[in-house]
Amino acid sequence: MSLVSSLIPAFASATARSESTPTARPAEPAVAPRHEITETPDAYALLVELPGVARDGLELTVDHERIRVVGRRAWRKPEAWKALHRESREAGFELALDHGRAVDADKIRAELRDGVLRVALPKAEALKPRKIAVA
Amino acid sequence: MRLIHYTTPHGRTYSPVFARSPWAGLEQQMDRLFGAALGESVAAPVAGFPVDLYEDAAATYVRAELPGVNRADIGVELADGTLQISAKRVRKVGDIEETAALSRALTVPEGAVQSDKISAAYENGVLTVTLPKREEARPRKISVTVA
Repeated sequence: MSLVSSLIPAFASATARSESTPTARPAEPAVAPRHEITETPDAYALLVELPGVARDGLELTVDHERIRVVGRRAWRKPEAWKALHRESREAGFELALDHGRAVDADKIRAELRDGVLRVALPKAEALKPRKIAVA
Repeated sequence: MRLIHYTTPHGRTYSPVFARSPWAGLEQQMDRLFGAALGESVAAPVAGFPVDLYEDAAATYVRAELPGVNRADIGVELADGTLQISAKRVRKVGDIEETAALSRALTVPEGAVQSDKISAAYENGVLTVTLPKREEARPRKISVTVA
């Protein structure tokens, strides 16, 4: 099994949420953003497209099992503007990935620029390839 | 084929130009069907990137979602009544750089826009192009005193 498959979308999150809250629908509708995961021997890199999300509308939480990205759009349509044609959504973004302790949560670095979030997720020491000297 | 079914009181129309996909018509039909089934009013993006169109009394606004693009790689051009928004997205896959060209075009009604006053701003991965209306294209409010 490739290690990259240890970063898998947390499908369970929707069910978990609907169980914990009595209302079937979440308060704020959210869509899964486009994202990409790449792997190097030492780390995973996560790239998430979050157009319209500013730094203060972004929440990145990492616990020992899950990475969660929640982004709210900073822009609201001014009252006087009339929409003639819409292709984008107003809904925010939500992405949950299970890393199954594959990531060293203390060393994560993240940067949001021009609507793209880049997260460097160094692998947990136990997962890094080790060269064993053979005597 | 027109995606924007909008007519100004002057009979002018804004409409994106479709030349890209031979499936554009079909896709649109499908989107309309699905959209109707799901009760959604949001149309699916057809080529390149999602574009929204707004207006108020003073201007027409185009908002395009272009996350992660360098400002220098965004082109906004108005020529022959067509507003072209193009962008270049560079992705690094290992050592290889991949460049994707993205583009959308909208027809702008002849004479409705002050073409020398068009401005564009890029913020949080969203490009906003402001097309100020010409004086004569703005709705006028006339108060009539009733004697």
